[in-house]
Amino acid sequence: MGVYDFDGKSPLTVLQGMITGNPQVSLSEKYVIWDVRTARIIMAILIGSILAVSGTTMQGMFKNPLATPDLIGITAGATLMAAITIVLGSHFREHLPDFVQNSMLSIAAFLGALLTTLLVYRISTTQGKTNVVIMLLSGVAISALGFAIVGFLIYLSKDEQLRDLTFWNLGSLGGATWQKNGILFLVMLGSYFILIPKGKALNAMMLGEKDAGHLGVNVEKLKKQIVVLVALMIGTCVAFSGTIGFVGLIVPYILRLIFKSNYQLILPLSAVMGSILLLVADTFSRTIVAPSEIPIGVLTAFMGAPVFIAILIRFKNSM
Amino acid sequence: MIKGHDISYAHKNFHILKSVNLSVEYGEFLAIIGPNGAGKSTLLSVLANEISAQQKNNVLFKEKEFRQWNLKDLSQNKAKFSQHNSDDITLRVKDVVMMGRYPYFNTVPSQNDWQAVEESLKETDVLHLKEREYNSLSGGEKQRVHLARVLAQLKNDVQHKLMFLDEPLNNLDVKHQFKALQSIKNFTQKANTAIVVLHDLNLAAQFADRILLMKNGQVASQGSPEEVFKQEIISDAYSFPCAVCAHPLTKNPMIIFGN
Repeated sequence: MGVYDFDGKSPLTVLQGMITGNPQVSLSEKYVIWDVRTARIIMAILIGSILAVSGTTMQGMFKNPLATPDLIGITAGATLMAAITIVLGSHFREHLPDFVQNSMLSIAAFLGALLTTLLVYRISTTQGKTNVVIMLLSGVAISALGFAIVGFLIYLSKDEQLRDLTFWNLGSLGGATWQKNGILFLVMLGSYFILIPKGKALNAMMLGEKDAGHLGVNVEKLKKQIVVLVALMIGTCVAFSGTIGFVGLIVPYILRLIFKSNYQLILPLSAVMGSILLLVADTFSRTIVAPSEIPIGVLTAFMGAPVFIAILIRFKNSM
Repeated sequence: MIKGHDISYAHKNFHILKSVNLSVEYGEFLAIIGPNGAGKSTLLSVLANEISAQQKNNVLFKEKEFRQWNLKDLSQNKAKFSQHNSDDITLRVKDVVMMGRYPYFNTVPSQNDWQAVEESLKETDVLHLKEREYNSLSGGEKQRVHLARVLAQLKNDVQHKLMFLDEPLNNLDVKHQFKALQSIKNFTQKANTAIVVLHDLNLAAQFADRILLMKNGQVASQGSPEEVFKQEIISDAYSFPCAVCAHPLTKNPMIIFGN
């Protein structure tokens, strides 16, 4: 499904033809089907999964269904560092080795995410208890700061940088390449290897950190792992696809409706459901106003904002 | 079993515990009593490795410091029931109790684990609630669910286990107070140890082997119920007049407050 016309053939036939080495498939068709479409679909699957798992683990650590990377400002922190790197990076880029140049954006986004997570955690948590209001407000503050600085950078930046910045602010899977997918896949594999088996530990955290400790959970180590890995995952996602909000909020919310808060189930399932959600959203964003595209961040926000409000209402009732 | 030597603890220059010494043996049921703010819960927290005392190395559990223990082994040797249990856990009752078995399985609970959960649910009389949602229970029922969780955690073949309980009887009705204490008593009769903060002196006199009376962060008196529950000692510690007589049936000391 998409804008490109494959001479009346269905994209599936073309893909099949390409895989079987059919000579009738032209080079440009090959490019569209493999390097544009398939790469983008895979990227949607990877990013959706990573965003959902980040959201779920963050919620487990903060013991609150509102603690998702975008609401508490982690995504904003990553975007901010990425924006700074795009605009100011051109001045010292040449002095760095090739390898660093290529991954500079990811590293900057990772550092931005890591610093914000630590900051928000420090501000909002005392003795293992998180103050939800402070947590959300520090997210608002960091997002505001990010917004201001990105605005200032837009004022400073040249044309080409400007396009990059808008792309980052709204989020898009349009920049998908196989190289990016490879990096995303490695980040995902490494993080999931450590995080997905943490379902029991996150359940135990609901009892409170001290009681989790009595059940044999190394709470301090767990929190460090979560902070670093979520920063890594969010940083990579932001560097490659910009700010795609609310995935980490919607997916665990729906799963909790069905499976309660049993992290042993919702953690692995959010990995699957995040993929489905973002793939569907991206397909919509590409097709409903074809040949143009709706930024995918707009679509996820449409779904996410009502969920946010629903959680707030429930939170109010429980107070 | 567990030895505490010269335990002191201060929070913001306020001394909560002042050089407390204690040693508890295998098979002992120790009740910690005392007026509000005497440092009972803090002492329990230090002994249970939740907070560290000012000088390190002064709590030995089975002749070892806590940091020498492997976390998993430790959680199969000791458990704690906290005073303030979380109110908001969106899980079913059986899943909450199953948390007590987390030190025993990796991803899927074994038959053994389910059996331990079932037995503990029965012991605290919440078996009929096992499919209910935890958040929909009353305060006393939640309390019993956590009690079941702690009991389930120590159902294993380890010799000489240790259970800490911080006011386990809060919100419980009379029948369940006795049931809970009986469970703890059964536990200690298998050469295990329980250290329990209690408010009801008469229940402490009936069930505990030894009493530790605290006042102002210090040990005011310790010994068998007969030794500690004397009129002068109790009315002095609680700053309230009382009378002590023998229980008509069990002959344990019985404390009646007021003139």
